[in-house]
Amino acid sequence: MLLAKTLTSSTFKLALIAIATFGVIVSILFSYVYLSTSSYVRSRSDRAIMTEYSSLRAAYELAGRDGLIPMIRQRIADKSFSDRVYLLVDPSLTPLAGNLKAWPSTVTTTKGWAEFRAGEPSPDAAHRPLLRAMLDTFPGGDRLLVGRDISELDSFTDQIKAAVILVGALLLVLAAVASVLVTRRTVGRIEQINATSRAIMQSGLDQRIPLRGSHDEWDRVAENLNLMLDRIEILMGEVKQVSDNVAHDLRTPLTRMRGRLEKAYHGSRAGDADQMLIGDTIADLDAVLRIFSSITRIAQIETQARKGGFRTVNLFDIASEVVELYDAAAEQDGTNLTVIGDRDVQVTGDRDLIFDAIANLVDNAIKHGRAGGQVVVESENIDGSPVISIADDGPGIPAGEHEHVFKRFYRLEQSRYTPGNGLGLSLVAAVARLHGSRIEMLDNSPGLKLRLWFSAPAR
Amino acid sequence: MTGGHRRILVVEDDPETADQLVEQLTTSGYQVDLAASGNEALDRGAASDYAVITIDRMLPDIDGIAVMRQLRDDGIAAPVLIISALGEVDDRVRGLRAGGDDYLVKPFSFVELVARVEALGRRSDTIVKETILRVGDLAIDLVSRTASRRGKEIFLFPREFQLLEYLVRNEGRVVSRAMLLQHVWDLHFDPSTNIIDVYVGRVRRKVDGQQAYPLIHTVRGIGYCLRAPG
Repeated sequence: MLLAKTLTSSTFKLALIAIATFGVIVSILFSYVYLSTSSYVRSRSDRAIMTEYSSLRAAYELAGRDGLIPMIRQRIADKSFSDRVYLLVDPSLTPLAGNLKAWPSTVTTTKGWAEFRAGEPSPDAAHRPLLRAMLDTFPGGDRLLVGRDISELDSFTDQIKAAVILVGALLLVLAAVASVLVTRRTVGRIEQINATSRAIMQSGLDQRIPLRGSHDEWDRVAENLNLMLDRIEILMGEVKQVSDNVAHDLRTPLTRMRGRLEKAYHGSRAGDADQMLIGDTIADLDAVLRIFSSITRIAQIETQARKGGFRTVNLFDIASEVVELYDAAAEQDGTNLTVIGDRDVQVTGDRDLIFDAIANLVDNAIKHGRAGGQVVVESENIDGSPVISIADDGPGIPAGEHEHVFKRFYRLEQSRYTPGNGLGLSLVAAVARLHGSRIEMLDNSPGLKLRLWFSAPAR
Repeated sequence: MTGGHRRILVVEDDPETADQLVEQLTTSGYQVDLAASGNEALDRGAASDYAVITIDRMLPDIDGIAVMRQLRDDGIAAPVLIISALGEVDDRVRGLRAGGDDYLVKPFSFVELVARVEALGRRSDTIVKETILRVGDLAIDLVSRTASRRGKEIFLFPREFQLLEYLVRNEGRVVSRAMLLQHVWDLHFDPSTNIIDVYVGRVRRKVDGQQAYPLIHTVRGIGYCLRAPG
């Protein structure tokens, strides 16, 4: 199965292409080496023959046949010239001197280079030495042939050829083996990822792709996939948490309503009691609808569908309006609610949403701050960034809880029993995200200071 | 438009909702015609003179907004209340921009619906020209932005005055919290707290505190009503 996957994998196909390209390059290189080696060997031998020929020709020109014949004889007698061939013939091709029995019949040229086999043509031509010679006709009609046995040269180039082919073949085999191994490794890693994916689809998000600790790109892919799985698992957990909370927050009023209606259904009609029951039921129903519309509102803000309503607005003006709206509520709580800061803090955004976000933060500050305390809303430009901050002097939020409070339905244990559905800060977070603004939580010692950093409007 | 003109066209395709609307509005003293589709609404709208038209956004044949545009193009000026299950502000703004006079999100309470229809109907038949409005012993001066009871001035912040003015202009009619938010604060959402109640509470203390009789009354489950006794 792994072999089949290896052969069909794209890595293997890539390896095959690489091997083919490599093979072509190697053949070209080796052919060049072979051709240049053999032509070098041959040209060296040719130069030796030409030198010899020139000196013999010089002797002939100086002293004629009588000068040349002893020289040829002397050469033939010399052992160090054993691979040489010489032949001097008269115009009727009768040999005058030399170690060839007759003028080679296969040679038709009378001047220049010739290659031929020694002796008479016979079936076992390969056993007769191959000769290469230079020949020429002197003015008197005599012909001189000077050559050498090049069988050895030939077998040397043959050896080079064999070596080149062998090395080439060996390289190809090695490349093939290497590519199969590399491909198997790649396919193996991918198979691990696939297997984990299948396991996740079948059983759940708790599986992770094993790492090899090699810190290679496969480990990095696996690491990132694992991080992604972690993130998905967290999100799934949050969704579950949210749906549990929604179920809880919706179920409580729904249960009350159901109980009431059931009691009324079985009981007798009683004007005032019925009136109250229905009134309470409507109030509970409204609470349910409010949670419902908050959720859809946050979802809609989070899909970024509202940027169309963006215009330049002044944070100070919005903050002032919020403070004005909440003034009465703060007064009732004995809280001193004030707005201070720069009167001209421009941002690009949706006025209603920013109002809603600031209103939620002010509402929280009044509710969770100290009774009789201070809530200060401040607008300012810090290093060119428009900032709105809402600070109270209440108990604040423990440092460890900072991250969680912006999750939907998250409520601190201590505020479980104050009114509110826990969606306020989620809405603030959604509005902030839509505006590309950053939320900063600071310790107001005592109390909590929340800062919304906007980006300055483009001018 | 004639005074006391109380004929309403309800455009709604869901039979049960339509029945409930007709019943509630009839109980409130309106004569109600029902159109179950956009085309029917266009026919009826052209045929009769209505004080208010309520249009559902999602109709089986023509989109509610298109119906409203067509009615406007046909020269029908009756105020239109758009009713929709699409609740978000963008949608609301689109509805109002297209010529709607008010917008109500499903599900709504019938008291809210009637309150809004009342407010719209009044808009079309009387335009107040006076600069001083009186309810019982309360007088508010729209020019100097001051209020007084039995000649004794009541100190109000500008927003508080606006709130009182809105209540006075809707004298005898129920005004919902959402309507207050919309008309006094220009906010198109429900801040889901009792913030309005607290605010009205403060205005009420200033207006009704140590007086012979209260003017601002709480209407359970919906909002407030300003009226003189008797």
